[in-house]
Amino acid sequence: MGAQAFFLAVFGLAAIGFGVAVFRTSSMVRSALALLFSQTAVGCMFLVMQTEFLGVLQIMMMATEMSIMAIFMVMFMMDPGGLGGMDMTHQKRFSIGAGVVAAGAAIAVALLADWGAVTAQAPDAAMQTRELGHELLGRSMLIFETAGVTILTAMIAATAVAIPVQNLASKDDKEVSQ
Amino acid sequence: MTVAIVLLTLFGSAWLLAVIEGWTVTGRLRPAAPLISGLAHLGRESIVPRSPDRVFFEAAPVLLLVVAVLGAAVLPLAPDLVIADLGTGALFINAALAYVLVALIMAGWGPNGAYAMIGGWRFLGQLIAYSMLIVMPITAVAMRAESLVNTAIVGSQAALWNIVYQPLGFVLFYIAAMALAFRSPFDLPTAEGELAGGVDAEYTGVRLAVLRLARLTLVVTLASATTVFYLGGWHGPLLPPWAWSLIKTLAVAVSMLLAGGYLPRIREADLMRWCWTLGIPLALLNIVIVGLLILVVP
Amino acid sequence: MTAVLIVALVTGAILFGIGVYGALSQTNLVMIMMGVELVLAGALVNLVAFWRFLHPESYSGQMFVLVVMTVMAVEMAVGFGVAIARFRARGSVEMEEAEDLKG
Repeated sequence: MGAQAFFLAVFGLAAIGFGVAVFRTSSMVRSALALLFSQTAVGCMFLVMQTEFLGVLQIMMMATEMSIMAIFMVMFMMDPGGLGGMDMTHQKRFSIGAGVVAAGAAIAVALLADWGAVTAQAPDAAMQTRELGHELLGRSMLIFETAGVTILTAMIAATAVAIPVQNLASKDDKEVSQ
Repeated sequence: MTVAIVLLTLFGSAWLLAVIEGWTVTGRLRPAAPLISGLAHLGRESIVPRSPDRVFFEAAPVLLLVVAVLGAAVLPLAPDLVIADLGTGALFINAALAYVLVALIMAGWGPNGAYAMIGGWRFLGQLIAYSMLIVMPITAVAMRAESLVNTAIVGSQAALWNIVYQPLGFVLFYIAAMALAFRSPFDLPTAEGELAGGVDAEYTGVRLAVLRLARLTLVVTLASATTVFYLGGWHGPLLPPWAWSLIKTLAVAVSMLLAGGYLPRIREADLMRWCWTLGIPLALLNIVIVGLLILVVP
Repeated sequence: MTAVLIVALVTGAILFGIGVYGALSQTNLVMIMMGVELVLAGALVNLVAFWRFLHPESYSGQMFVLVVMTVMAVEMAVGFGVAIARFRARGSVEMEEAEDLKG
């Protein structure tokens, strides 16, 4: 239990440190990769908490997600290299206040609530994967299916929003000119 | 002890690959050449380009090497010769190899060079093409083994290797593995003709030596993964288990090396089109076929 | 004994706070999405901690984590779709320039 708490704290500090770095650097690729390493540290926290499948899944998914984030940053920022030292923030005081209040409230709940007894023993990894599979295709199947359909909907919606509307526009132009 | 053996095998195989690669290129068999050129790299000046992103520039080759070794850590050479036999080993190797992309983006962005950066971002497109073809065949393999544990996956192939049971999955995985290791025909991020070396372009000296070692190690890791998932791992007559694993891994690695040498480099758009319009439907078909086989054949 | 749970929860809370700060203070759409990702990461830490330390026998907790991961992916996909459309139409994804969205 002691070692677990120690490693949890180490990876937690890493996650927080990289999380802070996301908003402190002005280089956009650094920012995206800092977020990636923050998420990886979160994945390592899952591993420390013996939730092997979810930890490995988190580490795997975030590598791709955040790399895509990085290329979008480079595409859409005026100063992706961060050499110009632009200030990319607004309503600073309000944001800091909101962040501190949100974190403080959550910490207060974490410290003040009565969590009851903590379970010392976790099921082993292969067992967990098996049970999670039964959960996914058993009791929670409907939710799982909904998640799948949500992803499909999001893919279609994102593509529909992102493809250029040139053809439509040119058709309209023709109609107008006629 | 296990760690030492696995690392020695990994780097030994990488060295052998380098020798064979040199042999096919120059026509001369010189076993010492990789070591000599490695030592020569140590002696050369390590040039740092102007205004680099220093953190990424230094970290990228090391990250690539670490990722390749981590991927190999969950692959068994023999029933008890595996560094970590994780409960989710087949998924873990995907997670480790996803960071090849991160390393290449870092190597591309770090040196502040146009060719390197294009190479790095190109690999992102390449990942979107190949990644499904890595994951979906492994899904079919795990379905047959009814486990994500790599030793159990090898165990499930005792009677019949997966290359016979699901040949479609093997072909897709083999091609996707070559794309993941960015060997030629898929060497888009390092394309020598068009990008002047791409992500390799700005690296010199020690860093280039590490980068080369990491690339060869990555090929060995992927060949080892192919062996574990499709070629029955340590199964084989007469010879001890570790020898079979080693022979199969080397055979796959050399075949990857040689197959690529005779093919023209594929275009990024073509790779993407083929992978999504042909590869992914075939991978889904493979999953369906394997599922039917599991249910129908006792 | 509950120290290990508290460590996880406090980490989750701080990640949540950083995410809230980022989502509110950044002017660029993609940076705001990064803030949201951090908020969700904080939620994930809490969910896994609750599953592991309070209810390891019920796998609905792990299921919930998978749903939140889905939400993260969906948020990315739709967010980038909107970003591309916005960039095409206005040439920038700066939120300061999106005053026209205020009714």
